[in-house]
Amino acid sequence: MSNASEPQETTSLKSKYNLAEPHDLSPRSKWLRDYYFRGLDREWNNEYDPYSTGVEWDRIWAELDFYIVPEAMGFMGKKKRGPFGSSIDLMGKPVKLPKIFWEKSLPERRMIFFEEAMVNNTPQEIVGPSLLAGSRFNLQLSKCFTQKEEEEFNKKLVKDIRPSVWKFHEYGFGNLGATGGHLIPDFPTIINKGFKYVHKLAQDKYNELSDREKRGAKGEEVRAMIHATLIPKKLAEKYAEECRRVAEETEDLERKGELEQMAKNLEIVPWEPAQTFWQAVQSLWMAHMLIMAEESYPGPGDSFGRIDEYLYPYYKKDVLEKDLITKEFAKDILGSFWFHCNTAYDGQMRVGGNQGITAGFGQLLTLSGCGPNGEDLSNELTYTMLEVIDEWSPILEPKPNVRLHRNTPDELLDTLVDMITRSQGAPFILNFDERSIEGMVLEGIPKEDAWDYACVGCLENTMQGNDRSGTVNCNPNLAKSVELTLWNGASKFFKGKPEKNLIQFGPKTGNPEEFATWEEFWNAWEQQIKHIIQYTVEVYNKTENLRAAFLPTPYLSTLVRGCVEQGLDIRNGGPEIRFITIEGVGFATLVDSLLAIKHFVYDEQKFTIAELKEALVNNFQGKREYIIMQTTLKNRGPKFGNDLDEADELARNIMETWSSETFKYKTDTDFQFRGGMLSWNYWAGEDAAYTPATPNGRLANTFLSNAICPTNGADINGPTSVTNSVGNALGGKTDDGKYVNYLPNGASHTITFNPSMLREPESKEKFKAYLRGYIENGGTALQINILDANMLIDAQKHPENYPHLLVRVTGYNTYFVAIGRELQDEIIKREMHNF
Amino acid sequence: MKMMESIQGYIFEIQKMSTEDGPGIRTTVFFKMCPLRCVWCHNPESLFKKPSIQWFQVKCIGCRTCIDLCKQQALSLDEEGMHIDRDECIACGECVEACPGTALRMLGEYWSVEDLLNEVAKDRAYYVKSRGGITASGGEAAVQSDFVTEFFKRCKEDGFHTALDLSGYLPKEKYAQIFPYVDLWLYDLKEFDDIKHQKFTGVSNTQILENIKWLVKENRQIWVRTPIIPTYTASEKNIREIGNFIVNELDNKIDRWDLLAFNNLAKAKYARMDMEWACNDLDLLLPEEMEYFFEIAKSTGVKNVKWSGLTKTVETEDSQRKISKFAPPSCGVQKN
Repeated sequence: MSNASEPQETTSLKSKYNLAEPHDLSPRSKWLRDYYFRGLDREWNNEYDPYSTGVEWDRIWAELDFYIVPEAMGFMGKKKRGPFGSSIDLMGKPVKLPKIFWEKSLPERRMIFFEEAMVNNTPQEIVGPSLLAGSRFNLQLSKCFTQKEEEEFNKKLVKDIRPSVWKFHEYGFGNLGATGGHLIPDFPTIINKGFKYVHKLAQDKYNELSDREKRGAKGEEVRAMIHATLIPKKLAEKYAEECRRVAEETEDLERKGELEQMAKNLEIVPWEPAQTFWQAVQSLWMAHMLIMAEESYPGPGDSFGRIDEYLYPYYKKDVLEKDLITKEFAKDILGSFWFHCNTAYDGQMRVGGNQGITAGFGQLLTLSGCGPNGEDLSNELTYTMLEVIDEWSPILEPKPNVRLHRNTPDELLDTLVDMITRSQGAPFILNFDERSIEGMVLEGIPKEDAWDYACVGCLENTMQGNDRSGTVNCNPNLAKSVELTLWNGASKFFKGKPEKNLIQFGPKTGNPEEFATWEEFWNAWEQQIKHIIQYTVEVYNKTENLRAAFLPTPYLSTLVRGCVEQGLDIRNGGPEIRFITIEGVGFATLVDSLLAIKHFVYDEQKFTIAELKEALVNNFQGKREYIIMQTTLKNRGPKFGNDLDEADELARNIMETWSSETFKYKTDTDFQFRGGMLSWNYWAGEDAAYTPATPNGRLANTFLSNAICPTNGADINGPTSVTNSVGNALGGKTDDGKYVNYLPNGASHTITFNPSMLREPESKEKFKAYLRGYIENGGTALQINILDANMLIDAQKHPENYPHLLVRVTGYNTYFVAIGRELQDEIIKREMHNF
Repeated sequence: MKMMESIQGYIFEIQKMSTEDGPGIRTTVFFKMCPLRCVWCHNPESLFKKPSIQWFQVKCIGCRTCIDLCKQQALSLDEEGMHIDRDECIACGECVEACPGTALRMLGEYWSVEDLLNEVAKDRAYYVKSRGGITASGGEAAVQSDFVTEFFKRCKEDGFHTALDLSGYLPKEKYAQIFPYVDLWLYDLKEFDDIKHQKFTGVSNTQILENIKWLVKENRQIWVRTPIIPTYTASEKNIREIGNFIVNELDNKIDRWDLLAFNNLAKAKYARMDMEWACNDLDLLLPEEMEYFFEIAKSTGVKNVKWSGLTKTVETEDSQRKISKFAPPSCGVQKN
């Protein structure tokens, strides 16, 4: 589509507060950005596009991906396909398929279907002045089941998996499910060697297989992979045709020239190695968008890795050495990339969003960071990309993480602090190398490789190109472990409400009313948390096994090292590095609850366990004593987040137990479980609603603590103290100063500062020093909000004035006016750190 | 409350990540007691020798636990809030210990050197990265010169930069005792006219001006600080005279001169302590007014003049509301 009319100006902000606004954009980038924000008014969009095999039993929507969005469960049905599934299935456009289709294996069918839908049914369009081809990717693809496969899949789903997952969630254990994305594909190989290389690799692999293997599952998978590597080539050819067609119609000579060059680019990449910066970005974009199309859940943590590293040689050659393109043109190529990333959201334009669900696409890129010897790897492209981020902000995608470490140059910190100053929330997450790298080492990555980690999704650390770490697949609610301990292994609450009958889930660890010491309570708790991990693994494996058997993704498999080499799908044990992360939700709620029990029941003997249980069942309501107890629990005694030895020690012990216990399990698909504390938006979602009152004085149906942050308002000693506590909880440092990190995947820490902090040059220097202190003492990932509470209150009253006000929640940006009132209030309530 | 062992410091606040009391990121320890009675005092809790109790309305759930408990019958609660009969209250602290919401708080705790050192050492990484350190403030920290000397001595042994915030009013011997362990002197010169000085602070400035001459002679690092208080110290004449004094009498040998704009954040503190505050109705200064004093200060020839603090703009009015509403009460501690 080439003749899109000129988009209107985005309405300028009428607020009295200083908000980040896009600035210094080139006419092209401005057009693209404005066009994106026209949303439903656009004549072109990337809305969901379902395709069907046309058979009556066809299934397009497989709900597994959405089990980790428990709010959507109501639409998934009980015994049948629910409203979500059936409506998408109904909308599916039948695709003409070759006769041999149904004779092929499932992975091969998937690739035949993928090619038909993507290359021959989805229109190829060039959007406005974009310099990149590849626009529609929000495909919803048929799962290509035969009738027999569908019956088998459905039986497992309805009889076993769905009810197991529902039960897990409704009894307050959290949520889980094998979901897509959350990895960094091997893009450098595609850019530098082309799909041609992977195609040959897959063919060689196939030739190595024995005849028996060729007839079996491996043969099927590798044939599908060989086919998969051709799809980008065919799509690029179609787009090249489109570029030439549009070029012919275009009178503007400059644009005509660009379109002709785009066609030439597409005749080279992504099949052949890229020769220029422009081709490298085109190759990257096409490889990426096809993943989103294949997984049919576009963009959940499909991340780019250290993009300023692998694109740098092209940038250096074209921009810095040969002057082939100007820096401004390179920024327009990147701007086009930014635009297309954001169109992932087009699929949700009509449904709106609540509690940050609209912000669910973590197409993350990682900038800067250290090299193998601790040296800094920032380069000119790092700064150019930061410029693009700054000029495009506020914008949701792609989400940048910037790696800091002891040798980060002052120049980079200056740039970052200036960017933070100009925006209400830092337009990036800061990731801290030294502690992060120790986490990778803990999970078995050799130290000589671990420096080259990068972040996926929100902030989860993984290796690049060969690592599938399932970073949001399991999200158990940690508060449940306290409930099980208090009720001798039984669940007392269903959907957060007390039940008459106790249901035994965990081991009988004794009636805590009879425990004489804190140690007895702690030991019982340890048994219960171990049980929760075991239960999580048990239910999760059901979803993992179903996915492995029925939902292969051969295209994605060609992009992750290990899959072709082993002839195994990424969803079935293929990648070199294989983890599933169990992300505990409500860490500080747990820590403060156990601290409260230790302090008030055992140390001070102010309340008995029986009194506490009675108050919890009554949600601290109905009696004066309950209210006094709740106020006491909430306000008195040690709390995590204040750099208190007692609290931090307990936090660290919990973390150690969590980390070592999760490592004990594997999936049937040979993925290793590991511990995390991401808590995405579950701390504010239905899992929080299903959590009864907790012993830290938190009322039922209120938010849990977020990621590794203290419970709301509990940290009263300022930014350095909370930073120290976060570092301590992750393991602190050994006596000889070595970093410890129990969570390989890292954990998000959000801190809110008042704008006054960065007003003066002197205070900027102090803020930089604080960040350098964070490198020494803090956690792995820091999100900084610079927010004036009054501005947020004003935004609640006059949302029309703040359409683009971005805030950070757990590991993602979201538009403040788009989230629910409760979450808005929570963000306002968060302690504002004042210098 | 820390147990008595050897020497004890009597402290009402430990402020982490302090950025207004010397270079870099610091921990500021606020010591109780002060020989001055400045009308604009921002830390009235420092003034009293004995501990005192404060009541924080937002934290109170009205459960009356404290009232039932108080043997002195010094507490009463009505629709106006909690009343503390300061004559009856002996600050035994039982109500503070029992209050479920921590609405009642004791101002003033005893700390040992060892414990205080452990507490401030927790932020070592930030001091190192920012060239910051420890500041002793108050009140007048040097009133407790034995403790501060011992504490700063240990700080120096641990490699921390030390700053002493002082009125300069105490006899030279008090400061001389701490002298070997102080890296930076944050020296208040509030009002040059001695009559006015006596009126504003209750004491003469003769000793203050003598003591700073001594420190200059000893080649100490000094930052002079002048609170700019409307209707009191905020006059062209005062700024000019202090500037001339620095240039002529101190040979312009100080390292920096800070003009600190008046802020009214202490309002709530006075109310909580049932005290009247002479500055209650004072307006904040305009940024242009601060710029004006700043230009005068520079025109006297003093090098490295800075100004900081809250001024009257839409933004600061908002941020004040924010502070009173969202920040923990302890955040109100400010240097005057």
